[in-house]
Amino acid sequence: MTIRFDGLGFRYPGSDHDALREVSASVGRETITLVTGRLGSGCSTLLLAAAGLAPHVTGGTRQGTVTTLGHDPASAEGRRALAGRLGFLLPTPWTQLSGMAFTVREEVGFGPANLGWPRERIDEAVQRALVRVRAQHLESRDPRTLSGGELHRVVLASVTATDPEVLLLDEPVLELDSAGARLVYDLLPAMASERTVVVASTDVDRAAEVAGRVLLLDRGSLVAQGSPTEVLGTASTVAMGASTTVASIARSAGMNAPFPLNVAAAVRCLAR
Amino acid sequence: MIIGFVTGTGLLHRAHPFTGVTIALAVAVLAFALPAPVGPAGLTVMLVLLALVAGLPRVLVTALTFAAPFWAFLFLIHVVFGDNPARGLAVAGQITAMLLGSLLVLASVHPGRLVDALLTAGVPFSVAYPLAATLQSVPRLQARAGAILDAQRCRGLAVGGSLWRRVRAVVPLAIPLVLGALAEVDERALALEARGAGSPARHTPLNPPADSHLDRAVRWSLLLVVLLAVGVRIAS
Repeated sequence: MTIRFDGLGFRYPGSDHDALREVSASVGRETITLVTGRLGSGCSTLLLAAAGLAPHVTGGTRQGTVTTLGHDPASAEGRRALAGRLGFLLPTPWTQLSGMAFTVREEVGFGPANLGWPRERIDEAVQRALVRVRAQHLESRDPRTLSGGELHRVVLASVTATDPEVLLLDEPVLELDSAGARLVYDLLPAMASERTVVVASTDVDRAAEVAGRVLLLDRGSLVAQGSPTEVLGTASTVAMGASTTVASIARSAGMNAPFPLNVAAAVRCLAR
Repeated sequence: MIIGFVTGTGLLHRAHPFTGVTIALAVAVLAFALPAPVGPAGLTVMLVLLALVAGLPRVLVTALTFAAPFWAFLFLIHVVFGDNPARGLAVAGQITAMLLGSLLVLASVHPGRLVDALLTAGVPFSVAYPLAATLQSVPRLQARAGAILDAQRCRGLAVGGSLWRRVRAVVPLAIPLVLGALAEVDERALALEARGAGSPARHTPLNPPADSHLDRAVRWSLLLVVLLAVGVRIAS
């Protein structure tokens, strides 16, 4: 397993409640994993813990253990061992710009440069990353002049420039319009063929389309895990408001669980 | 009004970042070391010419906007309520020269180039990046303040009129500005760490600036001028 959580609990500094409680789960490379739940249920915190950013950067206290690629990502040894092997995309793209770059090429090269890679290797990695997100045409642009969708793709290229073995995406389409979000989700299956991809998102309609496995959190606890239909198609998930629009409509229309998660599945159900 | 880097290819943009920073530091020392009011006034004139030659005339408007309240205050203190206009002129010249020197550097030295220059000189990334981040924060805060001001205006906040109304308008601007900046700092710290900024490896400068003989000559000359001016000042 690429990532393993054992009895993971987490509390942010100054908070009077746990952001995560006794979460035990594992994430493998075989498929895209969606971590979802209502807002504030701890999905982002789970990703931060997987990357070691919680508690290393956020502060706070952690119980239980997290193992990512065989290391505790929050320990000094783990951070050294995992440098460049994890990619983390945060929800707002403009806060992820280094501010040091004249061009997109330099922006994408910031991560590899931090790892001390030689310039020739950085150039190759930048080209690969830009091709991966179909943004080669942007390489000479000033990052400050990009549109929201373009910036999102450049940031995605930036976090994948080191060819990470694990890609953690926190609300990857939060700032995008429908077309931009579709483009990002279209890119994910190809990315997942080379690495472990975990997506934390409340945009279940789109994310469930590409995910092969779902972890459902509620108030910091893991309440279900399994295939999208097993987790999101149940009456309790739909009642919680954590499932897809089509599943909610199907439930309202009186269909029986497991509810279809998308229009195609709903049509198949009705045809039967 | 511009505070921060402006894209360009002028004299100062082409110079090594250390040259720009040296100019600003030298101006700050010379403004006080040279005999006032002629020295600071002369420095100001030279910087105005430099701004025009370097293709940064808009920096002059920014400097004027910031310096004008100081000039008004000094006029009141030293001319209207005092009897030492020469002193007022001297202080006004010192403030204007320092302001102009700093704004020219901010407008012409890209934070990224400065970091690359520092890294090439052997400065650790953990020291160089916060320096650049501080420089970057000025235009970002300026843009954020503009957006907040527009949003507050849409909600009926009157930002013009009497001095008292303007002062009152600062509160609904300042609070979201500070809170937003603090929230952004959190996310930026996460993003930087996730992109390996905390890595113990030696950061590779992506575009190390060329340090020409002319750049080095200018820096050494400025250092000599500063030492000479300070020496003469102490001796007299």
